[in-house]
Amino acid sequence: SAEVSAQNTIKGSVTDQDGEGIPGVTIQIKNTVTGTTTDFSGEYRLTTKSEEDILLFSYIGMITEEVPVGGRSVINITLKEDMIRLDELVVIGYGTQNKKDVTGSVSVVGSEDMESRPNTQVGSLIQGKVAGVQVQSSSGKPSQGISMRIRGTNSINAGSEPLYVVDGVPTADTRSLSPSDIESVSVLKDASAAAIYGAQGANGVVLITTKKGTSTKPSVSLDVYGGVNEVWRTQEVLNGEQYRDLMTEMGYNTDWDQYQNNTDWQNEVFQTGYTQNYQLAISGKSDNTNYYISGGFTGSQGAVRSAEMNRANFKVNLDQEVNDWLKLGTRVSYVDYNDVDVKDNQAVNQGGVLLGALTTPPVIGIYNQDGTFTSNPFQDWENPLASTDGSTRGFNNKRFLGNLYAEVTILKDFKFKTNLGIDNNADKYNYFLDPYRTSYGRALNGQSIVSQNNNTYYIFDNTLQYNKEVNNHKIQVLAGSVIQKYHWQSSNIERRNFASDAISTPNGGSEIAAATATEAEKANTSFIGRLNYAFNNKYLITANVRVDGSSVFGPQNRWGVFPSFSAGWRISEEAFLKSVDVISDLKLRAGYGIVGNDNIGTYAYMGKVGTGANYPIGGITLPGSYPASIENQKLKWEESEQTNIGIDLGLMQDRIELTADAYIKRTSDLLLNAPLPRSTGYDNAIQNIGALENRGIEFNLNTVNYDKAIKWTSNFNISFNKNEVINLVGQEIYTGSIAGRGEAIQIKEGQSLGAIYGYEFLGVDPRTGNAYYMGGDGNSTFNPTPEDRKVIGNANPDFIYGFTNTVSWKNFTLNIFFQGAQGNDMLNATRIDTEGMTDAKNQSSAVLNRWKRPGDQTDIPKSSPGNTDNSRISTRFVEDASYLRLKALTVSYTLPQNVTEKLSMSAARFYVTGENLWTLTNYTGFDPEVNQGGNSNTVLGIDYGTYPQTRSIIVGANITF
Amino acid sequence: CDNFLDLKPISEETSDNAYNKASQMESALVGAYETFQSAEYYVWDHVVFSDVRSDNAYAGGDNPEVFEADLLRVTPINSRVFKNWSQIYNGILKANTVIEKVDLVTDPQLSDTRKGQIKGEALFLRAYHYFTLVKLHGGVPLILAPTKSTDPNDVRVPRSSVAEVYQQIITDLTDAANLLPDYYTDENGNDLGGSTNKARATAGAANALLAKVYAQNKDWSSALAAIEKVEKSSAGYTLLANYDHLFDGEHYNNEESILEVQYLGTDEGNFGPQLLLPPSISGDTWRKFVTPSQDLIAAYDAEGDVKRKGASVLFEEVSWVDEYWGNAAGTSIPFSYKWKKAMGWASTDRPYLIRFGDIVLLKAEALNETGQSGTALVELNKIRSRANLEAVSGGLSKEALRAKILLERRLELAQEGHRWDDLVRHNLAVSTMNDLVEIDLRTGQAVNYNMTEAKMLLPIPQQELDRNPALEQNPL
Repeated sequence: SAEVSAQNTIKGSVTDQDGEGIPGVTIQIKNTVTGTTTDFSGEYRLTTKSEEDILLFSYIGMITEEVPVGGRSVINITLKEDMIRLDELVVIGYGTQNKKDVTGSVSVVGSEDMESRPNTQVGSLIQGKVAGVQVQSSSGKPSQGISMRIRGTNSINAGSEPLYVVDGVPTADTRSLSPSDIESVSVLKDASAAAIYGAQGANGVVLITTKKGTSTKPSVSLDVYGGVNEVWRTQEVLNGEQYRDLMTEMGYNTDWDQYQNNTDWQNEVFQTGYTQNYQLAISGKSDNTNYYISGGFTGSQGAVRSAEMNRANFKVNLDQEVNDWLKLGTRVSYVDYNDVDVKDNQAVNQGGVLLGALTTPPVIGIYNQDGTFTSNPFQDWENPLASTDGSTRGFNNKRFLGNLYAEVTILKDFKFKTNLGIDNNADKYNYFLDPYRTSYGRALNGQSIVSQNNNTYYIFDNTLQYNKEVNNHKIQVLAGSVIQKYHWQSSNIERRNFASDAISTPNGGSEIAAATATEAEKANTSFIGRLNYAFNNKYLITANVRVDGSSVFGPQNRWGVFPSFSAGWRISEEAFLKSVDVISDLKLRAGYGIVGNDNIGTYAYMGKVGTGANYPIGGITLPGSYPASIENQKLKWEESEQTNIGIDLGLMQDRIELTADAYIKRTSDLLLNAPLPRSTGYDNAIQNIGALENRGIEFNLNTVNYDKAIKWTSNFNISFNKNEVINLVGQEIYTGSIAGRGEAIQIKEGQSLGAIYGYEFLGVDPRTGNAYYMGGDGNSTFNPTPEDRKVIGNANPDFIYGFTNTVSWKNFTLNIFFQGAQGNDMLNATRIDTEGMTDAKNQSSAVLNRWKRPGDQTDIPKSSPGNTDNSRISTRFVEDASYLRLKALTVSYTLPQNVTEKLSMSAARFYVTGENLWTLTNYTGFDPEVNQGGNSNTVLGIDYGTYPQTRSIIVGANITF
Repeated sequence: CDNFLDLKPISEETSDNAYNKASQMESALVGAYETFQSAEYYVWDHVVFSDVRSDNAYAGGDNPEVFEADLLRVTPINSRVFKNWSQIYNGILKANTVIEKVDLVTDPQLSDTRKGQIKGEALFLRAYHYFTLVKLHGGVPLILAPTKSTDPNDVRVPRSSVAEVYQQIITDLTDAANLLPDYYTDENGNDLGGSTNKARATAGAANALLAKVYAQNKDWSSALAAIEKVEKSSAGYTLLANYDHLFDGEHYNNEESILEVQYLGTDEGNFGPQLLLPPSISGDTWRKFVTPSQDLIAAYDAEGDVKRKGASVLFEEVSWVDEYWGNAAGTSIPFSYKWKKAMGWASTDRPYLIRFGDIVLLKAEALNETGQSGTALVELNKIRSRANLEAVSGGLSKEALRAKILLERRLELAQEGHRWDDLVRHNLAVSTMNDLVEIDLRTGQAVNYNMTEAKMLLPIPQQELDRNPALEQNPL
């Protein structure tokens, strides 16, 4: 027949604009599965069936070319680099999509952003880079994970952290990832983008894709850096003589001759920490195989004595095209993570190190003559080194994270993918307090604790994809199922009464103080479906549905259905705009969707009966049980309803790119651990109560400001979010306790989460020296009642922003990254402890201005031993914690190509980075970027001796062979 | 796939499967007793809110909220008040659960007799907790079944009157006394001994508590009737011959003990003693809590009560200063000494929940109030003679003998959490505290306790008012 006779072998070469052959270019006959790839030198050979066939030449980073065969037997082609970033592939849930086709709100952080700022964890690298994403590190500890809020806090008790998905496997802790292994990060912000993750997507989704091989020639890359870090600010405290004066005034007398030291406790506690990092990776690809293997080590010692973190990581990524219909691959990583924590967020009484450094008087030394730690002259509060050095505290986590997938091209247009992912991790905490040096250690005669957790998780997902392009219609359909199962196991043993400090493991102690082990499970089953449809590249539609079942809820309310819908209109493709040269891209996007949240305790709907309420009767301990929770069969999914509208604008060949989004998220049927009257015997019960709303706008602007010998690009992003508790069925919830002063946070309808709550401080009475406050009747009073408290601050910023400028000239690149938050208040509770003058703690220099005698005009009340009336939670301690900081400044130098060639390298880059070099803030504490509550949804804006962010200088190199 | 999602707890029971077997019912009951260990009120806050709040002791230590109790300035946001309220009500929930579930058990292993006992024990526990609450706060919400719904209409229970709460306590204790044995036996009828009989509620404990309840309401004849039942109990309660043995840590579950909190040390240990005991015993060098007052020590000395002072108080030189005993380091100050073993926060020492010595003095008090001063003296002098004090002879007026008996109670029961109730019972709290002269050495001035009628009760915790709008605050 004519077709057979038309069978024709075509060969040719594919080159780049410099004439070099490109290996690995995909050549496919349009609308068929027939195709091939170019070899090492860029040559190919392919058999076609018809002269009508059209060849598609595609390669990542290059513009795809369509070439009709037209009877030719040799077709050579030059591919152009894809300068228009709109054709970038964006990783979305269960697949990728061309950026121009995306209708939801998705932000991407690429590897170039990662490289401009060395850091030990991926979370920090997203900070300030993505509009609408607030990344908070609640302290500067090397071991501190990050807390991320995508478009505000969505829940009160259920988790508000986004879902992290590493190469298709959901995970909770990103500290174990080495940033060097990461290719890109996609942040799915709105419901239509996140809905494919249904139940788990309520707080947004962060998709992390690790690297693959990119060149046929094996590439070896080495990343090395080292640096130092320290706190950037100290606090002024009373010297020995001033402390003695204050104590005498407060009625504390002692034999001061015994206390003649002059110890600077901040100097003892703060140190110059260091960081070191070594990562080696080998990657490459051959015809059908793509591999990436890496290993590395990161070590970091904190700026506070004894804090440290070490991580060793190993990774293999492998993809194999078995034949033209089957592709297999795996991603495997193993991480061994260790850290030593220091106790912060606590008063010296509880062993808090930061507050210990401030409130331990300088008059004592570090050790007594017998080698024990010294204490406050009036009370046995040991000096902060008893906390840092008095105990050994080692945390270790070993984590195996990986997946195995197979992708099958069944029929033309159909692709089936099956994926099995696991996350197995085991952590262990070892604690030993010797029986000699600390007071608590002596009281217990030594204490050793070992706690272990073994967590396993698997996810098994199967998806079928259908892709079809007919004329101007492009259709993509995805359907599938996902099952997930978690299993947690934990055990804890503690022994006391040690003969010596020679044995630090529990076997050395004679008394068993605790020995327990528990297990729990959770399971999820889901069905997913998605439709993407584009007409004429102009009109884009995405629809998702996910049906989720969770073991957390009872049989009646186990299943939730979460649909979403979004649409885009690429106006720039319309005839009336195509001719307008200045506009290279203009797209309007709108989306609506519902996602769910089941991030609450396991078996939450059941009336649980706890064990361990044991009691001795008849001389032996009998097992005792207690009612632990109220059964609630009505418990169901928390739902977040989100509406998003956005615009993408590219001007002047995309030299200017603007993305703007506005959204409203309303979370209803809030899974709230609502307080119950304690007369019920219960503290609270998890209930679907109330509603919460986040609304906001966000802008992202990328510009190429100058593109000649000097190239200067900028990114600016800014986000405004307003959070409001819409409905709490009339309840008020109080949280954020400050020792001896009650609770500092009020959650109430009409307010945002993070409302700081307390008294209005009016001043100091010159006659008595006592603080007076605003009473409920509008008159000042020395003794306000609890009802006189009100909202005195808001921990939520009005806006957060990041501003990055990159200037390159010849081989030099300068990257300047500013980041800030504006309009947020902080309760500086550290000052309650350092200015309260209620006990024998050392105080800050501010108290030198305290009221001393009638007639004194001051804003610092008199000392008041044993009485907190003068240091209530009040406006006196609320400060503006807005800040602007030079988060990172990097200067890098890339060796010229002729030099690297001589050294047989393919690239070499050297850099110096300074982090937090400069901070503009009115906040008077150690650092404005802290939170006592860690990643709590509700305890926000409290600094209570919290480990501050540090300033660091890092020197490093990236070398590729 | 619903099976895949139908997971059951591995390490917890559920309300469906936790109360079916006899052994599970026993376990629920053990859990109810455990409140005596886990509720801080029964560990040492009963000493704070009785002895420290009254004229027996100063706060000591470094806790502003204990200072509040000492100086009679307890505010509604005092977190100890809220914690005690919460933990005691949790004990009531556990007791209510037992009371409700025990009747539903069909396990043949659970005999009807044992069912009755379990119910009696739980009724006793519920009554004990409500008696604590009504003395601390006045009328409180009276909750008599476990809460099963979170509906505001169900959980926002208003306060009952003081009389209603007392009526319920009396009903529960009367029922308990009928259901409970004098002592527990094994299957062969052998007495299980003190470690069981002083751990579990008995008929004697129920009657003794009933006597205290009636006495607090000045229903003296009912109190006397209940005391008579205690005395006649086949459990054989008697005063120990040697007062020291009550508090030497060597005679737990003795014949004078009617009910005591059981501690075995280590993971069943009492953390309280470490808070109170001096450096020579506790090994700590920090300032200890509940420092006996000048007024109490003076009372021992005035009475020549060497025996009980020695068993209750230990003087020791310390490195810290004390605003009442010595405003310079190195002063000798007294320590609460009824517990004698610190044992690294895990002592075997116990608080008595009810002891017969208290009942003997209560009997003297009731007899005096009912005009039987002669027999009252007999009871009083039993206690005095044990303390090596000379007998009080007749001829005192009712008021004078009442004062004598109250003083005896003070010296006998110091640091056991009775003083405040004694003062309140005879309406002496206001005058005693306002007449008290305690010099704060930092200022050289006497402390102004500024005691009022309203302060006889603690406030309802503000945190509870926030959770339950149906509650009304006490006058402050």
